[in-house]
Amino acid sequence: MARLFKKLKYPGSWSLFRSDDRLLLILFAIAVGICSGLAALVLNRSLETMLEWLHHYRTYWWAIFLPAAGAALSSLFLEKIVNEGAGHGVPEVIYAVSRYGGLLRLRSSFSRLISSCLTIGSGGSAGPEAPVVMSGAAIGSNIAQAFSLNDRQRVALVGCGAAGAIAAIFNAPISGMVFAIEVILGEWSTMNIIPIAIAAVAGTEVSRLLKGNQIAFAHRDFNIHFNDILACVGLAICCALASILLTRALRSIHHVSKGVALPKWIRAAIGGSMVGAIGYFLPYALGEGYHAIRTAIDGEFSGGLVLVTVIALVKILTTSLTLGSGGSGGIFAPCLVIGAFVGLSFHRFLAAVWSSALWVNEGCFALLGMAGLISGILQAPLTGIFLIIEITGGYGVILPLIVVSAISTTLCHYLEPASFYLKDLVEQGQLLRPGTDARVLTDLSIQELLETDCICVHPNMRLADFIGIVKSSHRNYFPVEDQENRQFVGMIHLDDIRPYLFDPAMHHAVLTGQLMNTHVKTVSLHDDLSEVLQKMDEGRIFSMPVVSDNRFLGMISKATLLDQYRKELMVQTGRF
Amino acid sequence: MKLPIITLAGALNLPASTIERWIRQGRIPIQRSGTSGTEVIFSHAALEKWAATHNLPFSLTGDQAEDLLPETLESLVSAMQRGKVCHRVAGDDAAAVLRSAVDRIDFLSEEIREELFEKLMEREQLASTGIGNGIAIPHPRDPLSRPPETPVITTCFLEKPINFNAIDDQPVSVFFILISPTVKHHLHLLSRLSYCIRDKAFVSFLNQHPDAAALHSRIAEFEKQLDDL
Amino acid sequence: MAQKLLHIFRNTPLGRETLLQSIYFCQRMGVLPTVYIPEFTKFLMYFENEVVQVDLDPSYLNDPDTAVTHAEQLLQKAKIKPELFTPKNFTASTLPDIPTSFEFMCCPRSISDLSSKIGLGYIGPRVRRIIQAARFPVLITSPVYKPWKNIAVFFGGSANAINALRLGIRIAKVTGMHLDIYTQVGKNTPSEYRAIVQEKGLEKPLESILGQWTFFEKGRFEDNLYEVPHDALVVLGAYGHGIIKDIMFGSMMEKIQSTISNNLLIAGPKYTMIG
Repeated sequence: MARLFKKLKYPGSWSLFRSDDRLLLILFAIAVGICSGLAALVLNRSLETMLEWLHHYRTYWWAIFLPAAGAALSSLFLEKIVNEGAGHGVPEVIYAVSRYGGLLRLRSSFSRLISSCLTIGSGGSAGPEAPVVMSGAAIGSNIAQAFSLNDRQRVALVGCGAAGAIAAIFNAPISGMVFAIEVILGEWSTMNIIPIAIAAVAGTEVSRLLKGNQIAFAHRDFNIHFNDILACVGLAICCALASILLTRALRSIHHVSKGVALPKWIRAAIGGSMVGAIGYFLPYALGEGYHAIRTAIDGEFSGGLVLVTVIALVKILTTSLTLGSGGSGGIFAPCLVIGAFVGLSFHRFLAAVWSSALWVNEGCFALLGMAGLISGILQAPLTGIFLIIEITGGYGVILPLIVVSAISTTLCHYLEPASFYLKDLVEQGQLLRPGTDARVLTDLSIQELLETDCICVHPNMRLADFIGIVKSSHRNYFPVEDQENRQFVGMIHLDDIRPYLFDPAMHHAVLTGQLMNTHVKTVSLHDDLSEVLQKMDEGRIFSMPVVSDNRFLGMISKATLLDQYRKELMVQTGRF
Repeated sequence: MKLPIITLAGALNLPASTIERWIRQGRIPIQRSGTSGTEVIFSHAALEKWAATHNLPFSLTGDQAEDLLPETLESLVSAMQRGKVCHRVAGDDAAAVLRSAVDRIDFLSEEIREELFEKLMEREQLASTGIGNGIAIPHPRDPLSRPPETPVITTCFLEKPINFNAIDDQPVSVFFILISPTVKHHLHLLSRLSYCIRDKAFVSFLNQHPDAAALHSRIAEFEKQLDDL
Repeated sequence: MAQKLLHIFRNTPLGRETLLQSIYFCQRMGVLPTVYIPEFTKFLMYFENEVVQVDLDPSYLNDPDTAVTHAEQLLQKAKIKPELFTPKNFTASTLPDIPTSFEFMCCPRSISDLSSKIGLGYIGPRVRRIIQAARFPVLITSPVYKPWKNIAVFFGGSANAINALRLGIRIAKVTGMHLDIYTQVGKNTPSEYRAIVQEKGLEKPLESILGQWTFFEKGRFEDNLYEVPHDALVVLGAYGHGIIKDIMFGSMMEKIQSTISNNLLIAGPKYTMIG
């Protein structure tokens, strides 16, 4: 019995899966997809319930404090109960994937669900998608941990979790798949794509079974003309500007809030009450805002150009206030809202300037605006394109969609080189995509590159004896160690002493202690390889001694590094 | 298959810590075994295939270990004993002497002797092998196309000293013809031989054209000195 | 290669005792202590197949101004060059990653609960998870500084016990102390226990260092623990089963740690011998 249990715990070692684990991954992908789909639905349901429940109180004046209470509670929950930092968690997932093979904590699988439910349900302007992605990823990671899967399999399951979550919440399997691969994993390989696709299917199916197969923002057909496609360029520029504005606003409010010497939950509460106050006058700026999107796409939004533009700007402000001050949630849904209103205002502007021209329905522009904003913020054009197609069910708009996504991504890339999710990681140098130089250098450790075939000499050796050692060695470097306590005192490099080697008069007159270089740069065992390489480049040296606790451990050289680097790269990028 | 991780690391010519990491990261089709953690389980065929697709060397048979063993280098005496000691080798100039010397090396086939002579002449044209004190060490520059398995030295005492363009312009009266399977053997024997020749007493001993037994015992003495060094 | 012990410093008198204990261990073992003075109340340890978040009790952050001087004073008095650890990687801005490549780690009996709760019979859940996941043995110190003069290994015949015995032998060899083995006789007879040791090839290394092998043939294990000298470092293996099973059936580790206040060195199920 115990044996069977043990065997079940290590499915990776079953002979069926030992040499090829695709089948195993597919089975796990189904499980992960279902679980993360359920997680997404739970959040979705509880948000709906909460909104409904609070709806009656919106008309009271004290409703402006609802978002404050929600944000404070969510911050307290994250800080005190589950002990996690604030934020939406996607960078954490990417960090874990690139550095620790996707190891995530069990608590992450529910913490963000609860905290974002509190933030958004109470009216904070944020999206439920990033928390769901984090939960899905954590579910995948913990399933992999429970069954002792290895890093590669675990990373695939983390991707499965993210894909399943996005697929379930939007009823959009392709977007889930593309998001997981483009944003979370950053690696397109069949090994990953197949399980992730399966998980996306499983997640979508769960959502369809429990919620019904409905397209989130269904719309009527649009009649797109050539001049609309031309106008898309202008729309894309507006979207790019809005994306940049949102990114910058988020960051500056985060910065300001960090500088305030108050407990985190009070900061969150202050941000929340500001959001509440704004929302009292402009309810469109509250919550995830799906309702607003629906009216915009249907072309039934009644406000004029000024109102629409103001809503877009205010939504940027409330989102920055909610997330920047410490509320919990994602940026996906606010992006969609802002995009829709940017699209609307652009349409109104066009209609006002060229009133004679025949423009497509404004709903189409709202839709294109959403794609533009998603692509701009995430700098993931494929995710933007597929998401909009799937959530609106409109393949007919694909051409302008691609144009807007492409231009918006490119423009944003000029001003903000890293996307919203990756910015922190890039700043810390922690974005380690598979197969990149940074990743290979991080994976290799100095321990693995250590050349231990050096012969140590002691400083009281005559040159003649040293030459004897040189004869029997095939290296150019000789570490010098103190005879008694084996402390490292210096290095002898053959190049430095070549002139004396062939001078017999010196052979008995000079000691190795006089020949050695005592100011040699050393490396310690736990140094980062990229730093070591930088040191080597600066000093134009090809090898350096590795010294730990004043003991010589071995040499590290560029030659061995190249050898190992190549092998590592082949194994990392090669087919399994 | 179940093997200690160190052995497998040797077979793949990688540090054991790399293998451990790859197992953890799932980049290599190997599983860790049981509780001890020092042994790994894998399928030989799968690993071989994996190594081939990733251009990595993999061999479990241990032939690499043999390669790594230092080659046992021959001693001078045994090389000389395998060869011959020829007295009164006739000839008036370098070519003629080499010709008759090569003809005396009758343990090689006709064909190889021809190749040897050509290679020796080629080498002499490049630079004389006369190393002074009336001694020359003719040898082919590269190993013969079908070299003997072990190095062979043939000692030839000439009938009369001849001009060999030696570095000290002295006429040469003793040849040591070196035939080695590899350059490494060749250098090893050459360095040993030149050690002997540096000794003045040995040179005058050679000029007495000693017989094989006396020569070998004298050389053996030198080698003993060398090995003790 | 210099081996290292990770110590998380708590700037309180209790923390001082723990650091003294670590220093004593390091001096005996020729290991270098690496001291981490926490700046945040939580950190992550990424193990091979698990990530453990350690939530420290707030007293770890007491008076950060004096923490460095306190720690350095203690180390300098022991003539050890202070080596303070500063985390390089952060999972989130207030959540540093602590590497797990150390050869030993020192934990108090509990790391995340208030020190007032720490007593016999209680090992905190975080410390348990570290033991379960770590490849290194964990030194659980007694509440006050207590030098040890010999090694006591608890040997019950399992694979983990063999690992613990190997660890004990290594420590005895390095420190030159003698090693005693204690076995509560269960299903097997004493000669069968000896046979297990012999089979694993541990008899020879034991010859020179084994003081005595005590078999408790009767009585409750807890009562027999009085036999263990008060000044021994107790080495034992921990098992891979979960907390629930531990509470239901009780494990040797539980009984030992709740009965004696000696310093414990625990080799978890993932423990692998280095070198």
